[in-house]
Amino acid sequence: MFVPPPILTSTAEVVAVVVLLATFGMLRAPLMTSQINLYRLQSLAVTALVVVVGATHGLVGIYILAVASFVLKVIVVPAVILSLLGEADSNIAHSNVLKVPSMVLVALVVSLFGFITIDALHLRSATLPAPALGIAVAATLVAFVIIVFRSDVISQAMGFFSLENAVSMASLTVATAVPLVMELAFLFDLLVAVVAFGMLMRVHHRRSGTLSTDPLDRLRG
Amino acid sequence: MPDEASPLFILAPLLAFACYLVVPLLIPVLTSFPLPLGYMGDILGGGIILSTAGFLVALAGTETGSPYAQLGSSRAMTFGALIEPTVLFVVFVVGLITSTDLPYAMSQAVHSSLGEVLAPAHVLAAIAFFMVVLADTGRIPIETHSGTLEFGMIDEARVLEHSGPAYAFLTWGSSIKQFILYTILIDVFVAPWGLSSSRELGSVLSAIPALLAKAMGLGVIFALIDNSFSKLRLFKIPEFIVAAFVLAVLAVVIFYLGGAS
Amino acid sequence: MQLVLILLIFGIPILAAIASLAFGGRIAAVATVVGGVVTFAACLGLIGDGGRGEHLSLGPWISGDALSVVFSLVVGGLYAGSAVYSVGYLAQHSGRSSKRFTRRYYLGLNIFCWAMVIVPLVNGLALIWVTIEITTVVSALLVAADGTESSAEAAWKYILIASMGLGIALLGTVIAYAAGVLASGHSLGIGFAPLFGVSQKLSPSMIRLAFVLAVLGYGTKMGLAPVHTWLPDAHSEAPTPISALLSGALLAVSFYAILRFWQLSRIVIGATFCRDVLLGFGILSLLLASLYLLSQKDVKRMFAYSSIEHMGIVAIGMSFAAPIAITGVLLQVISHAAAKGTAFFGAGVIKEKMHTKEMSKLSGGMRLLPWSGPLLMLAVLVLSALPPFGIFRSEFMIVAGGLQSSKDGLAAVLIVLVTLAFLGISWSTTRMLLLPPEEADESAHDFFDLQGLPAPMAHTDREDEHDRLARDWEIAEVLEGESSGMVGVAKLSMSAAKVPAGEIGKARRGEISTLMVVPMIVFIFILLLLGVHVPGSFAHLLSRATSELDGRLGGSVYHPMTGAR
Repeated sequence: MFVPPPILTSTAEVVAVVVLLATFGMLRAPLMTSQINLYRLQSLAVTALVVVVGATHGLVGIYILAVASFVLKVIVVPAVILSLLGEADSNIAHSNVLKVPSMVLVALVVSLFGFITIDALHLRSATLPAPALGIAVAATLVAFVIIVFRSDVISQAMGFFSLENAVSMASLTVATAVPLVMELAFLFDLLVAVVAFGMLMRVHHRRSGTLSTDPLDRLRG
Repeated sequence: MPDEASPLFILAPLLAFACYLVVPLLIPVLTSFPLPLGYMGDILGGGIILSTAGFLVALAGTETGSPYAQLGSSRAMTFGALIEPTVLFVVFVVGLITSTDLPYAMSQAVHSSLGEVLAPAHVLAAIAFFMVVLADTGRIPIETHSGTLEFGMIDEARVLEHSGPAYAFLTWGSSIKQFILYTILIDVFVAPWGLSSSRELGSVLSAIPALLAKAMGLGVIFALIDNSFSKLRLFKIPEFIVAAFVLAVLAVVIFYLGGAS
Repeated sequence: MQLVLILLIFGIPILAAIASLAFGGRIAAVATVVGGVVTFAACLGLIGDGGRGEHLSLGPWISGDALSVVFSLVVGGLYAGSAVYSVGYLAQHSGRSSKRFTRRYYLGLNIFCWAMVIVPLVNGLALIWVTIEITTVVSALLVAADGTESSAEAAWKYILIASMGLGIALLGTVIAYAAGVLASGHSLGIGFAPLFGVSQKLSPSMIRLAFVLAVLGYGTKMGLAPVHTWLPDAHSEAPTPISALLSGALLAVSFYAILRFWQLSRIVIGATFCRDVLLGFGILSLLLASLYLLSQKDVKRMFAYSSIEHMGIVAIGMSFAAPIAITGVLLQVISHAAAKGTAFFGAGVIKEKMHTKEMSKLSGGMRLLPWSGPLLMLAVLVLSALPPFGIFRSEFMIVAGGLQSSKDGLAAVLIVLVTLAFLGISWSTTRMLLLPPEEADESAHDFFDLQGLPAPMAHTDREDEHDRLARDWEIAEVLEGESSGMVGVAKLSMSAAKVPAGEIGKARRGEISTLMVVPMIVFIFILLLLGVHVPGSFAHLLSRATSELDGRLGGSVYHPMTGAR
């Protein structure tokens, strides 16, 4: 029989679902700027979740993490990507292999796989509402689908960043017990990765003149 | 009545109208307790009756052999079939939450606690159903309800061949269908307050303005959507439908995961 | 003394990096070489302590045991070798010796090696992840250093696939920590000791998932099939010293990360599951690599597939339930690093001498390169397990372990596939080295337009191997006023036109740089030493590391890093 949850837990659940929905949205977004905005939404949701975890468990240090995560993911990363988009002309995200509805169906099947795996292992989380770990794993898998099926560098990079978002959401399950240094180290790593991705995207754009990854087929065998 | 058409041409609008009159017996419209005939069908039954009505109207559209009406019929059937899985999953959510599939029980469950309304499964199912209502009543972004361009019409084109009283029944019927869907959305999912819980005439009558007010609020939202977005191109409609489908499936899965703990 | 050595290992590469950034050019080169040699010496100094089973620690974030020392040695040795080799390598092209390029290159090299050498010495699964992520990012930028289109492509594929793999590995790490939190019921530190302390109470299903995710994720960086797809591209397109580091050191430290998960998982879920997982990946890698090796055209790509093959052998070795197999695995990691380093260095020399990587265009290596030619030949034979070198000993131990644990069929499969790989590699290499140097054949004449037009520009529409030749000449175009570009190098395409047409076949006999030969000689000597007679303290180190991995230490369960019994 159904048991209604307290309102704070359901808010946290809704926010977690927003992360997953934003990932699906990035999969189907036709324009790169809308992908970036969806990434902003996703990062905002993850930051909100961090704040909720801090509020319900009384961890003060976690607010530093929330601020750092907000600054990095909502402001810096989109700025880096948008500056690259400013150099390039096109704004249309490419996808060669499948059209949007099929990609979304594949992503749905994949996320169901993630849900079922987590459920079968009876993993419980102390800090987040129960579906959150399953949602995080599902969002990771959908980010994989983005990277695999999209064929331009911006979409693939955004897919990677949303992968990092989803895994950091999963890491909130251990947030209460592991020193915040670890979370901050992850953020620092993400920053370094952003810099490297940005540089390599520029290199690719200068070399091939396009943001699409179609020219990348010289190395075979 | 045209020469080449069968009697179904005249009968279909009447039968559809009859179906649309039956469905409100099954859903909570003014009362929070089931009406005397309310147990004759659950939410799946309501769905069947609505689909039958749509099917009859589509058949009637093919009666005269006019291309535009047949275009509308075939498109309506195709997109209707694509929407069905979404409707089914929304029904599953209702079933999971209440262990029955009676819309009355769902309405009771939502009525009893506010926290329930914000549960993600419920929110997702409501949004999915909202998108289904957009598609079924032929509004933006699926179709221009008040447009006259035949190439963009889906539901509107089915009725192009009728005129006179038959056309009146068809138009009235589609308005009833729209109101039914609004009622389901409001009374079952979103805002089931204001329903009368006793059989006294006074309380039932006072439920009418409540329902009308809520329906008008919903109508305002639909009008806002109508004026803010543009109609999707025909081949992009499956993207819209698959988005609704994803929301409905996720609603089921998340409920299953969350409720299972 | 131990503290000093650890401080040296952590600090010297950073100092070298700062020196490279600040000065560039010759000072950067010297600083890097000094850094490499000192780091290697420090790692050698730790052999004694590690072999005695002492727990190396310095503060809450640094912790090491015998296993750590083994892997640090691998990185230290390759750091020193690549640093020396780089000096000669960068001198070959005027574009590469510019202040700007050397500054960035040496900065990248030092940070890359710093991150790799500290991976075995950090305390905790989370910190291992952080440092390996740093290596990924820095090495991706280094792979793109050459500035050609193929290297840009290889770098993009590398960073994307490796980051995806590390994302999976992070998920596995998080699940492992979550299991620890659930088991201990309260706050858990990030180090090894807290997690291993509650290892008896961890939930088996969570650890099973964490182990599989870790093998999949870190296996992406290690080069296990089917997630190896970035490896041939990245290793063949990177500058040669970086290829050697990628193949020898980076694969090794990724394997180290898997081994830490192995140590945790064998306590919680038993060794059988872990062995089966590694066996599956290992067989697939070995099979794929052996088959691909039969049809390679590019010499560095061939060596990249050979790395995949050896990592497959290593994974299969871990799946044999005998201690001698584990010792063989550790010895294989070290010997493979030395041998692969030598092989890549030799390939680099040949590429610089003959200006191409296509094996069909290379011939007469032995005659033209009196030192590098035979050394490369020797390296290839060593990679195929020629006695009396190190790899022969390690593969012998692995096969013996397989026979000891009654997995005769698997041992036989191993031998067959290794022989297949040997066929593939030596066929190409012997042709490349032993055929007499020919006159430049007609197609090469066509390529260099004798009218003096800039050769690569005139033939950019030909999409075949001649274009690859062109790109080997041309380093990069000028990135006008772009300060964030990785490489700012002058157009070299004009210089190609100045080379007379017949030069490609009529290269003169002689080494191009002693500094490029010296590391090869040193590595071959090390391989000989490891094969003929392993020094006593080193043998103690290996056996100590084996027992740490095996879990059997004095008959009771060993908890790594805590020293507790």
